[in-house]
Amino acid sequence: MNIQKLKDEAKRAIGRKEVTHLIGYQKGSYGFRISPIFIETKEELDRLTFSPLCSLSLVNYLTIEGKPAQVQSEEEKKSKAKKVAIFVRGCDSRALNQIIAEKGLSRESLYIIGIPCKGVIDLKKIEAQFPNVVDPAEVVEENGKYIITINDQTHEVPKEELIADTCKVCQYPTPLTYNKLLGDKLEGNPANYDDIQKLEEKTPEEKWSFWQNQLDRCIRCYACKNSCPLCYCDGCILDKLTPQWVRRSVDTNENLMFHVTRAFHLAGRCVSCGECERVCPVGIPLMKLNRKMEKDVKELFDFEAGKDPEVKPLLNTFNIEDPDDFVL
Amino acid sequence: MSKTRVGVYICHCGVNIKSTVDVTKLTEFASKLPHVSVAKDYIYLCSDPGQELIKNDINEFNLNRIVVAACSPRMHEPTFRKALRSAGINPYCLEIANIREHCSWVHEDIEKATKKAESILAATVAKASLLEPLEEKEVDVIPTALVLGGGIAGIQAALDIADTGFKVYLVEKDPSIGGHMMQLDKTFPTLDCSACILTPKMSDVGNHPNIELLTYSEITNVGGYVGNFKVTIKKKPRYIIEDKCNGCGNCISYCPIEMPDPFNLNLSKTKCLYIPFPQAVPACFVIDPDYCRYTLNRECKQCEPVCKELGAIDLKQKEQFIEVDVGTIIVATGFDTFDPTLKPELGYGLYPNVITGLEFERLSSASGPTTGDVMINGKKPKNVVFIHCVGSRDKTVGNEYCSRVCCMYTAKQAHLIKDKIPDAKVTVFYIDVRAFGKGFEEFYDRVKQEGIIYRRGNVAEVYKRGEKLVVKAEDTLLGQLVEVETDLVVLAVGMVPRADSNTVNNLLKLSQSSDKFLLEAHPKLRPVDTASDGIFLAGCCQGPKDIPDTVAQASAAASKACIPLSQGKVRTEAQVAQVNDLLCRGCGFCVEVCPYDAIELKPTVIAGETVDVASVNEVLCKGCGACVAACLSGAIQQKSFTDEQLLSMIASLGESYE
Repeated sequence: MNIQKLKDEAKRAIGRKEVTHLIGYQKGSYGFRISPIFIETKEELDRLTFSPLCSLSLVNYLTIEGKPAQVQSEEEKKSKAKKVAIFVRGCDSRALNQIIAEKGLSRESLYIIGIPCKGVIDLKKIEAQFPNVVDPAEVVEENGKYIITINDQTHEVPKEELIADTCKVCQYPTPLTYNKLLGDKLEGNPANYDDIQKLEEKTPEEKWSFWQNQLDRCIRCYACKNSCPLCYCDGCILDKLTPQWVRRSVDTNENLMFHVTRAFHLAGRCVSCGECERVCPVGIPLMKLNRKMEKDVKELFDFEAGKDPEVKPLLNTFNIEDPDDFVL
Repeated sequence: MSKTRVGVYICHCGVNIKSTVDVTKLTEFASKLPHVSVAKDYIYLCSDPGQELIKNDINEFNLNRIVVAACSPRMHEPTFRKALRSAGINPYCLEIANIREHCSWVHEDIEKATKKAESILAATVAKASLLEPLEEKEVDVIPTALVLGGGIAGIQAALDIADTGFKVYLVEKDPSIGGHMMQLDKTFPTLDCSACILTPKMSDVGNHPNIELLTYSEITNVGGYVGNFKVTIKKKPRYIIEDKCNGCGNCISYCPIEMPDPFNLNLSKTKCLYIPFPQAVPACFVIDPDYCRYTLNRECKQCEPVCKELGAIDLKQKEQFIEVDVGTIIVATGFDTFDPTLKPELGYGLYPNVITGLEFERLSSASGPTTGDVMINGKKPKNVVFIHCVGSRDKTVGNEYCSRVCCMYTAKQAHLIKDKIPDAKVTVFYIDVRAFGKGFEEFYDRVKQEGIIYRRGNVAEVYKRGEKLVVKAEDTLLGQLVEVETDLVVLAVGMVPRADSNTVNNLLKLSQSSDKFLLEAHPKLRPVDTASDGIFLAGCCQGPKDIPDTVAQASAAASKACIPLSQGKVRTEAQVAQVNDLLCRGCGFCVEVCPYDAIELKPTVIAGETVDVASVNEVLCKGCGACVAACLSGAIQQKSFTDEQLLSMIASLGESYE
């Protein structure tokens, strides 16, 4: 990724009259960390960056502003046409598509700059190889290797060792929706659910003990829920006190209730960005749960979330031809 | 609100509940539950004294919530709601604990069943103490009905409603009313001429001041609810102006195009400018656009100048859409006959002398292609074989049901053969003969005495040997394989749901039973109602039946359809969905899933911003709860089934198992 090109495009974007601000990436305060940046003026543009370390999804910062105002007339559409510019990768663009399909955001309020993404680094993996890095490090990808510069020393690590697991099976590296695309389109991987199939082959007892072991570790920090670009309801039922659907206690039952609810609410909506698994402080393989749903949805209904903002969300459409042999 | 005071009433239901559930123990248990002021048991709570007991207690103990532990709410919920109303408390402050179907009827162990009844009751009391009073609304009914389908069922239903004094729209997709009955020759068991008994009714329909006949038309959209349906009807272009055509037929001879005659099941030819049959209602010609050279290629136009005086031919006619408002709808869309090519071993479609029962009717009818002579290749058949149950009672084609008419129409057709060709040898292969109706057994007996051979056995194959057809079957009475040489095979094809029925079913949101015919609301007690209020069923769309049953059902549907029309008002559902505006994020999931189009997004000002918020039309809402489940942010709740109420039940059930 040519950073200068990125900055030029960002400059053009915030130069547009209707764009109020731009959401992008900047280096974090230490080590391999990256943080979001909200740019309103040209002076801030220099802080923009993009590298394989940019594993964070920026889409979340759009939906925390609340539900979109209803645009009633063509005139209003013009006068109210305030846009936010945002950098998106393939998975982020699918999240946007899905949210737009659910009327959580309007396409008119966005100026989307697409970045074809070759995959991002799993922070846990790189921090394990290079622990205690304090000064901001740089990473670039070259010929299937990551060139890592820490305090002017460069290291070469094969891409396979550090890339996030989600990115290894990414089918849509190139954004599907954008106003501008930076760089050439990339080919995605074919669909691959081998890992899920392995899990499916286990007996119910084995599955139960697998998930019990995993979910018992959950500390209910809700990082997975808060980082998920598709978890954007104003009144999440998990936060409700009257009635309280899920109690706050950390035990197997309540943890299971939380994770099953979360997974069900993402059925036909999850776009496989991997945010939940990335932010989990105790390393629960949440993508296994999400990808099982994704696989079922694909096999049963030939549906993939976030491919087209015009397609109605899966679970509120009914087709008489839908398979129903799972109904007892 | 005043303090919650729950009264619990436990019904013995004679011995139905009492024999499995210890009602005395259950009553004692109930009296200790939270908010319960009084708990009693009684032998039949649904009886007048039973209801009086509840009413008196409401006044004596100042009760404001009632729990009845008895049978399914589908039975007596309305009974007890009325009791509550007459005692002066809101009828929706009632909750039924089903301890019969859900407990006593399905268990044997008294101790365990009593324990389960306690759990059910405790959960119900927990919910009941959170119930809110609700109000029903009343809406006016449009005093008009719509009948869909102009066969004998639709004709009878339309006439009955029209005679009661209400306006009826009768919508028929073909150019004339009459349906299948018009195609039949004689009718069993009385041998009346089908057309002779049908045409007076058709003519009544045509002349009735209360009936607006819309032939060659289909419904394309249905909105609204009982009392206020809005139906869009597409009138297909006839290319003949209905008001101007007098049916003289001068134009026919000028039309150069011939096509297979649909009324004669393609056994003969007709012009593509045609009248379906001489007694058609309306007596108006029609041009088939799939054959007419003008509609296809803008050529010909020979017919138009002939009708100069009347000017009835209009080859530029376009389809028209009409919107009508009606209070009730009767579905009488009829049936198709089974397609025997699905049983290739019987040779239909392969040998021209294998025909269906309905084709036989046309051959035998005086108005048919042979003016009533049963002729095959210009010769009278000397040997005729009838085969029963083609496409009925047959799991291999997925139709397990009996079509109810084939045994008798075969007997009638066998009789007609003997009548027209006395020296013909007639054999009928049957599984068993079902002659259940009035006069059926007597008729079957008569036919057997006419020398018709009934052989019990399933036919394995029909094949050709020289000039003759051979029917190979196992005679299960003799226990041997038989081969019968024949000139004509008539397949007693059964009835199947119409191939095009899905469109109508989806528009009206009708359910189907496992045989794919339309499902009635209750197989015994509501046989002409559907699950949708204000929509009724008549005739073979609901299941195979003969003409008298169809007419009886049509009259039943008509009288049912007249009830809301004459009452003038309908009550709406009180247990409807409600939206919390502040939680709604305007995604519209609820709008998509609502089967009754009861929800729309309305611009609403929330915190100074105009945003989309879901809004429920309480008249349209049937309280199905689909929107509640679809709402991701929990902004929709269904009255009497709120999260609080349901979770209190779940919590109570959980406690009883701890």
